[in-house]
Amino acid sequence: MFKAMLKKEFVLVLRDKHSLAALFIMPSIFILIMSIALKDTFSDDRAFIRYNVTDNDQSNISRSLSAILDHTTNLQQYDHAITDSKELQAALNKGLHFALTIPKGFSEKFIVNTSKNLLRLDVASEVKMDMLNLFKGELSNVLMQIRIEQMLQQFEPVVPGITAQINSQAIDTSDLVNIHFNGLPPNKIPTSTQQSVPSWIVFGMFFIIIPMSTIFINERKQNTLMRMSAMNISIPILFAGKIIPYMLINQIQVWLMIGVGIFIVPFFGADALTLGNSLTGLLLVSTGLSLAAIGTSMVIAVSVNSVEQATTIGGILNILFGAIGGVMVPKFLMPQSMQMLSNISPMSWGLDGFLDIFLRGLSVQEVLTEAFALAGFGIIQLLIAGLLFSRKKRNGI
Amino acid sequence: MIRINNLSKYYGTTAALNAINICIGKGVIFGLLGPNGAGKTTLISILNGLTTFQEGEILVCDLPLRKNLREIRKRCTFIPQFLALYDNLSVIENLHFFAGIQNISGTVLQNNLDYAITTNSLEKLLKQKAVTLSGGQKRRLNIAIGLLNNPDILYFDEPTIGIDPESRNDILSTIRSLKKDNKTVVYTSHYMDEIEKICDEAAIINHGEIIAQGSLDALLQTANDNSAIIELHYSDQTSLHLLTDCIDTLQVIDGSTLKLKQQNSTNMSALLKILETKQIAVKQIRYQSMDLESLFITLTASENSHV
Repeated sequence: MFKAMLKKEFVLVLRDKHSLAALFIMPSIFILIMSIALKDTFSDDRAFIRYNVTDNDQSNISRSLSAILDHTTNLQQYDHAITDSKELQAALNKGLHFALTIPKGFSEKFIVNTSKNLLRLDVASEVKMDMLNLFKGELSNVLMQIRIEQMLQQFEPVVPGITAQINSQAIDTSDLVNIHFNGLPPNKIPTSTQQSVPSWIVFGMFFIIIPMSTIFINERKQNTLMRMSAMNISIPILFAGKIIPYMLINQIQVWLMIGVGIFIVPFFGADALTLGNSLTGLLLVSTGLSLAAIGTSMVIAVSVNSVEQATTIGGILNILFGAIGGVMVPKFLMPQSMQMLSNISPMSWGLDGFLDIFLRGLSVQEVLTEAFALAGFGIIQLLIAGLLFSRKKRNGI
Repeated sequence: MIRINNLSKYYGTTAALNAINICIGKGVIFGLLGPNGAGKTTLISILNGLTTFQEGEILVCDLPLRKNLREIRKRCTFIPQFLALYDNLSVIENLHFFAGIQNISGTVLQNNLDYAITTNSLEKLLKQKAVTLSGGQKRRLNIAIGLLNNPDILYFDEPTIGIDPESRNDILSTIRSLKKDNKTVVYTSHYMDEIEKICDEAAIINHGEIIAQGSLDALLQTANDNSAIIELHYSDQTSLHLLTDCIDTLQVIDGSTLKLKQQNSTNMSALLKILETKQIAVKQIRYQSMDLESLFITLTASENSHV
């Protein structure tokens, strides 16, 4: 009996191009795009802050400032010359983050220690405060370095050899701190792939709401459910005949997307996905997520009356769960109140579980809470769907 | 095969079925006639365990329906009014699916599939998706699905709605052919000619009550009132009503039509004489023998006039 139900459900999904696109192609493409788009954000190899310096002072100090900035790892000089304010505005709209203008007379003011409005900084409107603070920090370091060199030059005639002595005691700040990311081996840094794959797996899994609810509604409309009832198929058997195939479809999705992360993403220059330390944890969280997604699908499928309603409500619910649950905007970027709110989304629990495994390398014990919460949520939804459906059935399917 | 005793079904305080009594023997094709809302589909749903009932008793294959629903369902099939199949599956995939969920497998599956396919002439359509079939072909597939468990009893709920006459005839002969396999069929339809063509017995149901029941021949014989319709070159209904005082069995249909019930040579010549005296010319005389449709209309109309 289940074999027939399983086969039927697979054939119906496989013959529905829209379902296939939503279940398999869309999340795979998301993973690819997001991993590639964000790869530099997680890399220390390439500077991601683009800046430009307009030196109207043309002094030794201003030239020194430009030169030191040029050697700073996090910064990348804008590759187009900017000669007037119009070009500057255009550049700030087209990818330039910061435009530093060194005004004429800067070096005189710097020497006499005038610290107010020494430089002008134009900032692109999309620049976030953390990026601005980072640039200001780099700029302060450079100015501090120039000031120290300048002071050493002043002291050199009084204390000969002081410059050499100070330079010999200088420390290399690049290796000063041994950075260790939680859950990762030493010298390993988190990658965009490790961050993106969990999000889009969670999001993709919930997309079964659409094929599952539309197939169920069509079965209601085409009276096949009524016929099945007359063939001794009870509600628990009918639901089991839905749950099992869609859990398998969800597992295929999970492993397909993991496959994309491991094998396809590296072809496009981003880092390959690594599986973490707990395959059991991964299976538990994905099974819990599956139940949550299937439960939600069934509640929608038995509550609404048309395929159009199911696709609209299913789509909206998916996006809302994703937005609240930290799929689209990472939770750590959200204000405290939003982070609290995100806990109402089952996608948030699933994402936490997957991040624990993929990103933090935690064990199965650490994801049991998320897995059971998701499974509980799914089972409650399925019970609600069962009650609603049996009531509808009594009144004629 | 099916015995229904004093069956009543209520929706709130409204009776959908009221004290229904029907007895259907093995191998009988039984027609269930009634206008929309009469209670036909409710009765079929109850017989298939899709709807509950409050009073009465139903025995199917000598087993009480309430206690033996699962067992009874294995020996029955329901072919619903609407096409209950999967458009995106092929004919053979539909058949395999519905056989699979009934746990039919092995040799039984092969035999029952062959029976369902040949009975409904689906041999050349097996690989075609249901969505591409014509209305008639879909109806045949709908019936074939119902035959997969090789049932003893088949419930057809208006299976020929919306199809062309040729397909309709094919389906009717398919249903008629089930008789030779000694299957019991309960058949509801709006088309009286279908019931006349294929049924051995029938019941007319109206407002949830059986108003006539029996073999088709007996029903028609009882109902046949041996009447004649007399069409006149005349158009005064009031004057015609005066004639009814002279002949008891005369009925005025309209200003130019009379109906003489239980006509015989005596009352017919009396009528013609009166008409001649009153110089009313006769256009045509038709002798009527009542068919099922007339019987249905007469019975349901008289029932409705009492309501």
